[in-house]
Amino acid sequence: MLPTKKSPPKQDLADLTVLVYGPSKIGKSTWCSRSEKALFLATEPGLNSLEVFHVPIRTWEELLAACGEIAEGKHPFKTVILDTVDNAYRMCSDYICAKFKIEHESDLGYGKGWALINNEFQRVLTKLAFLPYGLFLVSHSQEKEIETRTGKYIRIVPTLPDKARKIVLGMVDLILFCDLEVTSDESGKPVYRRVMRTKPNPHYEAGDRTGRLPETIDLNFQAFMEAFNKPAAAPRASAPRSVPAPGDGQDEKPASTGK
Amino acid sequence: MEAKTTTTYSMWSLFRNCRKACEWRYIHELVPLERDRNLAFGTVIHKCLEIWHGGRELAPVLDFIDRTYVERAQNEDAKRNWHMATAMMMGYAACYPVEEFEIVVLEKTFEGGIVNPATGAPSRSFVLAGRVDGVVRIGDQHFLLEHKTASQVDADYLERLWTDFQIVLYSAYVEQALGIRIAGILYNILVKARLQQGRGETEAEFETRRDGLIAKSKTGKSGAKRRLPESDDEFQGRLLDKYTEPGMFHREMLYLSRDRFETLESELWELTQAFLDARRRGVFYQNTAFCFHYRRPCAYFPLCRADGSTNVIDNLYQKVSPHEELRDETSFEEVSAF
Repeated sequence: MLPTKKSPPKQDLADLTVLVYGPSKIGKSTWCSRSEKALFLATEPGLNSLEVFHVPIRTWEELLAACGEIAEGKHPFKTVILDTVDNAYRMCSDYICAKFKIEHESDLGYGKGWALINNEFQRVLTKLAFLPYGLFLVSHSQEKEIETRTGKYIRIVPTLPDKARKIVLGMVDLILFCDLEVTSDESGKPVYRRVMRTKPNPHYEAGDRTGRLPETIDLNFQAFMEAFNKPAAAPRASAPRSVPAPGDGQDEKPASTGK
Repeated sequence: MEAKTTTTYSMWSLFRNCRKACEWRYIHELVPLERDRNLAFGTVIHKCLEIWHGGRELAPVLDFIDRTYVERAQNEDAKRNWHMATAMMMGYAACYPVEEFEIVVLEKTFEGGIVNPATGAPSRSFVLAGRVDGVVRIGDQHFLLEHKTASQVDADYLERLWTDFQIVLYSAYVEQALGIRIAGILYNILVKARLQQGRGETEAEFETRRDGLIAKSKTGKSGAKRRLPESDDEFQGRLLDKYTEPGMFHREMLYLSRDRFETLESELWELTQAFLDARRRGVFYQNTAFCFHYRRPCAYFPLCRADGSTNVIDNLYQKVSPHEELRDETSFEEVSAF
């Protein structure tokens, strides 16, 4: 039952959980559609221009049923794309409200409604993430005013509600922010480039636990895979454990009584 | 020789409650990126009380509140806090026009050794530092002044004051630092009014309400009028009235037991030894019973739930040196995470 050796860092994108977010029509779904044997769980319309395998999802129950079929493994798909995770969360909310016969999450009092929704949402996403398929979660972006100790500023974050956002950020290996980078050409005209930002920044949320990706990369799946498949830097899985500090243990046996 | 590590009550308290949270804060030096508005309000009131007790003039207090909530015209939270702080301090000044005590010192920072009670030897790893709101004299006795803001003061709240490990511990250190005997603690409690500024109703909301009343009415008519938003002046007046009620300001005096000092000294020593052991082995375990201790998630709950994911650290937390409460200039702007 217990392991006899350490698990190696994940090498394959199909093993990872990825959050892709950005403004509408920038190309998030197109980017995801290029992944290996992709299956879209489409909670919102918008895939019309793409030739993809997709399951229309209208309710949380439909999502659970689709996840059940995916878990059975009798299919050729290797990457599951939940497009969008924002709508999935809303469906989860409707499901919990209907189950507990309430109109609004706050009707259960003391935050119980919200807690039930978040638990159900986390349960399903965690189960999906543990399946042997890549999991891509797609979200839109929004500007949020952040009040810190030193002042306020605007930050671009996924459109999920706050608690759901924290759940998702904690689950994923990559947080990829799709953005439009504006530069000037030789004549001074603006040049627009669709990019993905992969490293944390005060003005947007992003992250790369694999340590493989450059800070900015073209919003192009092939370019992304080339960068991802380069020899990896040290992965950043979690916070380091504390290391013993000089002087530790000095107090166990006092040198003098002091009296 | 290695410099001793400065520690505070907040650190030992957190270590006692949840070692993992203590590790996040004091080893990794992480605090949530977004500041806690409840703590921020308490810190503003502490600063107001320091100004008030320093000169007993209301104008500089109100000026400080105005400057703190300068964006109140655009920001609803700032406006709500500005109303509350203004009414609270005006009510406080009216409630205590004359004080029974004399101020000896305000916002006193101290530092002292942590002693092994078995041998009397000071710790070679740690010192304890802290900051007290003030020391006051009543007759020929000295008391620590401790300001608190609370949502309500009930029997449980008052009972809990007796278990206040922090202030009893601080008394011993203040005695050492100032060379005066502390007879007890004077708790100065200010209650946060739960009033909300009336937002009024829209035309559509009014129509819906009136239709409901008409449906219930036997005459088929209703004299209901549309509720208009409460003006700032009206709301401030209502808050000021609230702060004339008994119970919005409370003072409780507790005398210190000398035996408690020794017990707490011993407990503090044990905490230092447990901390050294945890740091040496690199093991700070989680106390899951503490995750929702204040009926809301601990500041580090998202981080623990994500097993310390760097994505969570990088996006939801920032590095801030420990013991912010000891810093003089910015302490009222920078809020302790705990």
